[in-house]
Amino acid sequence: MNYLDLNIEEIHLALVEKKVTCLELVKEALKRAKEDTNNDFEIILEEEAIQKAVELDKKDCPKDNIFYGIPYCAKDNFSTKGYETTASSNILNGYVPLFDATVIKLLNEKNAILIAKTTLDELAMGGTGTSGHKGITFNPYKNDHTTLIGGSSCGSCAAVAASIVPFALGSDTGDSVRKPASYGGLVGFKPTWGLISRFGLFPFAPSLDHVAYFTRSVKDASYALDLLSVHDDNDYTSYRKERNSVLFDENNISTSKKVGILKEVYDSIDDETLKTSFDKLVNKLKEVGYTVDFVSIDKKLLSSIYPAYIVISSAEATSNNANLDGIKFGPYYDGKTYQEVMINARTNGFSSLIKRRFVLGSYALMKENQEEVFKRAQKVRHLIVNRTNEIFNDYDFIIGLAAPSVAKKVGEVSEQLSDKYLIADNYLAIGNFGGFPSITLPLGFKDGLPFGVNLTSKPYSEKQLFEISYKIEEITGLRNLSVNNKKEGL
Amino acid sequence: MNFEAVIGLEIHVEMKTKSKMFSSAPIDFKAEPNTLIAPLDMAFPGTMPIVNKEAVRNAIRVANALHMEIDHELWFDRKNYFYSDLPKGYQITQQDRPIGKEGYLEIEVDGIKKRCDIERIHMEEDTCMQHHFSSYSLLDYNRAGIPLIEIVSKPVLRSGVEARKYVEKIREIVTFANVSDGKMEEGSLRCDVNISIRPYGVDTFGTKVEIKNLNSLAHIEKAIDFETKRQSELLLLGKKVQQETRRFDEAKKETVLMRVKTEAADYKYFTEPNIPPIKISDEFINNAIETCPELYDQKFERFMKNYALNVTDAQILLSNVDYANYYDKCALFTTNYQNLANFFISSILGYLNKNVVDIKDFNVEPKFVAELVDLLKSKEINSTQGADIFNKMVKENKSPLKIKEETGATLISDEVKIRELVLEVIKLNPTLPSDFKAGKTRAQGFVMGQIMRKTGGKINPAIANKIIVEELNK
Repeated sequence: MNYLDLNIEEIHLALVEKKVTCLELVKEALKRAKEDTNNDFEIILEEEAIQKAVELDKKDCPKDNIFYGIPYCAKDNFSTKGYETTASSNILNGYVPLFDATVIKLLNEKNAILIAKTTLDELAMGGTGTSGHKGITFNPYKNDHTTLIGGSSCGSCAAVAASIVPFALGSDTGDSVRKPASYGGLVGFKPTWGLISRFGLFPFAPSLDHVAYFTRSVKDASYALDLLSVHDDNDYTSYRKERNSVLFDENNISTSKKVGILKEVYDSIDDETLKTSFDKLVNKLKEVGYTVDFVSIDKKLLSSIYPAYIVISSAEATSNNANLDGIKFGPYYDGKTYQEVMINARTNGFSSLIKRRFVLGSYALMKENQEEVFKRAQKVRHLIVNRTNEIFNDYDFIIGLAAPSVAKKVGEVSEQLSDKYLIADNYLAIGNFGGFPSITLPLGFKDGLPFGVNLTSKPYSEKQLFEISYKIEEITGLRNLSVNNKKEGL
Repeated sequence: MNFEAVIGLEIHVEMKTKSKMFSSAPIDFKAEPNTLIAPLDMAFPGTMPIVNKEAVRNAIRVANALHMEIDHELWFDRKNYFYSDLPKGYQITQQDRPIGKEGYLEIEVDGIKKRCDIERIHMEEDTCMQHHFSSYSLLDYNRAGIPLIEIVSKPVLRSGVEARKYVEKIREIVTFANVSDGKMEEGSLRCDVNISIRPYGVDTFGTKVEIKNLNSLAHIEKAIDFETKRQSELLLLGKKVQQETRRFDEAKKETVLMRVKTEAADYKYFTEPNIPPIKISDEFINNAIETCPELYDQKFERFMKNYALNVTDAQILLSNVDYANYYDKCALFTTNYQNLANFFISSILGYLNKNVVDIKDFNVEPKFVAELVDLLKSKEINSTQGADIFNKMVKENKSPLKIKEETGATLISDEVKIRELVLEVIKLNPTLPSDFKAGKTRAQGFVMGQIMRKTGGKINPAIANKIIVEELNK
């Protein structure tokens, strides 16, 4: 066993007790990163990471700073001062930001060590981890490069699942952390919209975008939120009121809470292995004191999530990415007029998938379509959020399988009009529609691939969400799961 | 057939806030190009807009001056289009919920007052400045993100002169409220004109033509008059007015075609997702209004009341808010208000005009101006000396009293000294007293001339006259 295979809390203890040094951790992380063949990384920051580790080792690891010397990765859509940041898109090749994203700054201040920037679906648009300019990112649970890890935060997910780092930043606009977390056997968490500053996160769709992250334990996720949840003057949507601590006492967790299973999601899943594990979890939850019932949203509404999501996110995306015109940064292509310069940059810089989204988004915003397409999607969004809030009047949590299957094979296609796809594969976007805190946890395995369960709760109830997640972690026994530390689960 | 013009104006006013509308980059219109830029101004990925409170306060002040309904919630929208001067590929503006709506202002043409209804006032951000050359263009991002207010009138204006008066009034408000420099020639106040014509008595509108690039009040008036004539002639010839955008050619004094408008552009507006709706408290609004710098009418009233100036002088002083403010500052140090006004108008404005200096660059301390006015009033110095002292004062920003001391530029007012000089002249011309008493008043002038000559004109004439008469009467 290597200390890098432990979770943050355990690594921290080892650092405090001087059983391991920052340099040893960083060197091991870099070694693993360089040996990795799953296409997890855009750039590896070897020199900088080693230099920082050496410096940190000159001092004792402070007991009250759990992130001291912890190697981590960031998705390549977080602005990092001085380091090329491309969001895995050719249009940003060579772009070196002038400033750090607020989350990068916070982690840096706590002396966490950024060892690499990770791959993503181009500009975070996509859920497969296949569309970045460096190609497909593979699932480390299969070493034959046959299986996807999912996206868009593919590299961050694969790196934590492969035990290269215990923590990685991602972003979640529809389910871009919580879905791959299911395929990678990880804790994937996003808080209430506004708790973590988005300043420096390359926007995909700001009304849906969240900074999110992967860890290998629920406690680590709570520590990360404790660090990252601060008001930021650079983000006007940053939460302004006082924040309660999200750290919880594992010995004092109340189980007299109500959990609602989304019936439509449950019904649309046909994988018996996954369902059996889920049923087991439900029974165990009841055994430890939770009340668990089926709740219903409305099948039509749930089937509308995907189209509404595509319309809203594409509309916002077409606007957010209009700054990428080849004039100010990124590769410059010549042209006789400014139009030619822009058209050349955007034609060469974006993949066809991105262009497709821009066309969709633009279409939705056109004057003659806006009422019928964009505004209607917004209405659907409100209806879904309102209905979810109603459920939260009676229930503390909504629970469901995070995905209807284990990770997909390369080239595998979903039946896009099936309930399974429209509902079970897309309902996690409810968390983005309403800005609800939401967490995916490993639940079990099928054919050697992990799958997860997702819980969503009302805004600003992160502590409660971590508490029940911790209980589930106890039930599944899947704390600190990685390819180096395989377990069975339910 | 006779036609009437139907004119609506869109005015963009660049605010002189400390920082930009949505970023912390400072604003300085005189700075070197591309030196005042925050990452947001160049749309670097991940930057986010932060609303400038000072800009909101300014917009509220202008909205209030225009008698508008002020929205208690701030909403911003994105206006999406691609252009080389638009860094983000969208402009943050207020499409759906402008900060102010349904207002008016009053203009006066040939003694007749007219109320001009105003549709809306909203905040937005400026684009970057483009400099085009034959084979390339340069971009200056200093201007990108400077706060703008756009004021949109209803189509209520009917002539070039009305439009000019309307713009004058807007400029007066934004400069007096200290919101903007309001300089058309420098682009801090820009005006686009929409104009159509129709036969008198008709309610419907004709085809609208837009005129851009109007960079002076005179041009607005001339462009509208020309355009009214041009459109009338077209219609009288049985031709149609084309929907198009024209610009004013300064040399020809004509409007010329820029481009024919096809369909109206679709800006794909939607609510800015990075700025949630902001509630503005009554307190903030009231405070903005209460602390608004004095507007023209109030200032005029105060000048008339406190300084008892004549109307023309007050109007000249108030023709530029910076004149008025400078006058106010000088008036703290003297009570010779009318003399101060005369001095300001003749000497200071004369100096500024002659040397093409902006009043803002006139760095003489107001206190010194007041001193000089008092000196002149007391006749301790004459106007020639006053002019010399003024020049030195402007050059060195020095107290006139000090200058007077140093240069000896002072009039002899000492009665003993003057009497001596007068007696000396009478001694040499002993017939003078009898001549004077016999009614030859020339004798008085003769003595004055002699003592002036002796002293190089430095005699205080009032005192000297008194003494001369006394001595000649002896």
